[in-house]
Amino acid sequence: MTEDILSEVKKDYVLSKLREGERIDGRKFDEFRKVEIKTGLIEKAEGSALVKLGNTQVVVGVKMQPGEPFPDTPDKGVIIVNAELVPLASPTFEPGPPDENSVELARVVDRGIRESEAVDLSKLCIEEGKKVWIIFVDIHALDDDGNLLDASAIASICALLDAKVPASRFGVGEDFKLPINDIPVSVTSLIIGEKFLIDPSRDEMSVGDKTITISVGRNDEVVAIQKSGDYLLNESLFEEVLEKSIVAGRKIREEILRQCSKTC
Amino acid sequence: MHKPERLIVDGKRLDGRKPDELRPIRIEVDFLKRADGSCYLEMGKNRVVAAVYGPREAHPRHIQDPTKAVVRYRYNMAPFSVEERKRPGPDRRSVEISKVSKEAFEAVIMKELFPRSVIDIFVEVLQADAGSRTACINAASVALVDAGIPIKGILTSVAVAKVDGTLVLDPMKEEDNFGEADMPFAFLIRGGKIESIALLQMDGRMTKEEIKEAMKLAKKGAMEIYQLQREAIMKRFLEEEEND
Amino acid sequence: MRRIVLPGDFLSNNPKIAGYGTYVEGDKVYAKILGLFEETENSIRVIPLKGKYVPSVGDTVIGIVREVSANGWTLDINSPYQAFLPAMENPETKPGKKISDVLDMGDAVIAKVVNIDPRMKVTVTMKDKICRAIRFGRIVAINPARVPRVIGKKGSMIKLIKSELDVQMIVGQNGLIWLNGDRKKISIAEEVIYLIEEEAHTEGLTDRVAEFIKGRKNAQA
Repeated sequence: MTEDILSEVKKDYVLSKLREGERIDGRKFDEFRKVEIKTGLIEKAEGSALVKLGNTQVVVGVKMQPGEPFPDTPDKGVIIVNAELVPLASPTFEPGPPDENSVELARVVDRGIRESEAVDLSKLCIEEGKKVWIIFVDIHALDDDGNLLDASAIASICALLDAKVPASRFGVGEDFKLPINDIPVSVTSLIIGEKFLIDPSRDEMSVGDKTITISVGRNDEVVAIQKSGDYLLNESLFEEVLEKSIVAGRKIREEILRQCSKTC
Repeated sequence: MHKPERLIVDGKRLDGRKPDELRPIRIEVDFLKRADGSCYLEMGKNRVVAAVYGPREAHPRHIQDPTKAVVRYRYNMAPFSVEERKRPGPDRRSVEISKVSKEAFEAVIMKELFPRSVIDIFVEVLQADAGSRTACINAASVALVDAGIPIKGILTSVAVAKVDGTLVLDPMKEEDNFGEADMPFAFLIRGGKIESIALLQMDGRMTKEEIKEAMKLAKKGAMEIYQLQREAIMKRFLEEEEND
Repeated sequence: MRRIVLPGDFLSNNPKIAGYGTYVEGDKVYAKILGLFEETENSIRVIPLKGKYVPSVGDTVIGIVREVSANGWTLDINSPYQAFLPAMENPETKPGKKISDVLDMGDAVIAKVVNIDPRMKVTVTMKDKICRAIRFGRIVAINPARVPRVIGKKGSMIKLIKSELDVQMIVGQNGLIWLNGDRKKISIAEEVIYLIEEEAHTEGLTDRVAEFIKGRKNAQA
């Protein structure tokens, strides 16, 4: 995904800085770029958020409608996460059905939300076995300047925090705020030899696409892990990434709470 | 499927296993005639077949890499492999499993020896139990060896789950469905030792300490599976000798 | 019985002696393929049991013409890589003679690999006394990994087959073998080759082959 000439040129720069113990944008190795969150941008959606992570931009819209529950969870709402890497967001994105990268992105974001039980699905039953709320979380990439995954995860949970269940529109009671139990934060690191960079920018990603994502929920518990890319990871490096990701995740959660409580 | 009240009773699991015990595994090497390498593998109720074709000429040409072989991995579930018929073709889960499994193999195959070619790894799940992706990786790994493709070592895969607060090796269906967490691994085994992690995923809820414990348990299981993979390959080629 | 090794098996601490079928990482030598471990004083190697033919300069190969172009022929050489035979590398190419009259689609040739570029573009020549267009005889296909056994130590196995059966035999490194001579004797030779292929990694093969030929010749007589 990074095979243009500019990224080839950037690669040497990133590596030479790294040898001096620095990142090209001056960040610490375990430091996220600046996060800016704007919720409620899409009025037609039940919840929405535009998130900027450095220059990476993602918009997420949440739509809800009554529908059938899964047979094995008749009294629970359903959540579906989908991602579209539209060609507008990067010269390397192609139109057409989702490729393995967008499928993986959606599934890793989904896992963070699902496994942390961020949305209280038990409060989204309308009629047991027949009708529950179906929540569609649609991730729309606008600008891929690296680490679209973490930006998408932040935008998704912020859009969910922003969401109201449109009960009155469907004649099933009064609107209510979507019940949220946890704020999962995904923390992606780029692995370069024995070093790792949290929240890699696109220029940093020119070194390779060897990453590991650790999603952290409340109480510093890990709710999802995904190693991605063709590389071998040694155990001690993994443990180091794990430690730092938990700390970084905590900081981002505070940032989400700070910015969302203002706007939501 | 209903959630059993307890998944672990008196230190034993629903199928009678101890927490650190694998399901029965059976491996047959060189199972298919047409493929360059192949393997049939059972792991609990998983029944999977892996085939390797290549290195062979890459078609269409635009997928060729002038410097190394392209590796493709296709994880596919047969429609009859699960309780409720599965619609044929790749769903999102299969696409993701194929991607991470492919990357695990790319990290150990010596791709640079075969510029412009393609190495295809196909795995078919004939019957799915929990951990079908790990069964498939174990089978594919044996099939790669059988195909004579140069690799750094053997990949061995196993999952660890957390059920009723206990870590268990190689979870079965109930443990996968109702457990608190599932963590599949694949390791590169070289020089008879686990050397590094080639695949790592997790979903559920685990503390840092539990993750480290899970890693230990997975490594123990992987070494046992590795011995079985090894024996199966050896047996296949020693049999040939006995047929004189 | 020789030891079978698997990829990743540790073989030695001495990278200087690492030979075919091995690789070095750090200062350790490991097997990279499934095969038979062979150790001599100054080298260790792994003889493959299976695997595709990968061309190497100097190899004799047998190929079949798949494409004819103005400046030469593209050959299928039973490998992930096709080989190109330039018109000028075929002594039968003459000014004014149509290129497809020299060699056409489906024709088989014996050629030698003269060049391989870093992208594995393979060039072959027919300018060698062993090379020829195959217009008679029989081509036999075996697993390319077993070719060294069909050749034998310093060509001993080929010599045995040729002298016992009085046939012409040229072994391509790519697993294709050309046989020519009396039809019945060719058939015995073909059986012998399959026997060697099946039992390539067993000991005492030469003796068994000699015995096998004797038995077959007696049966035919």
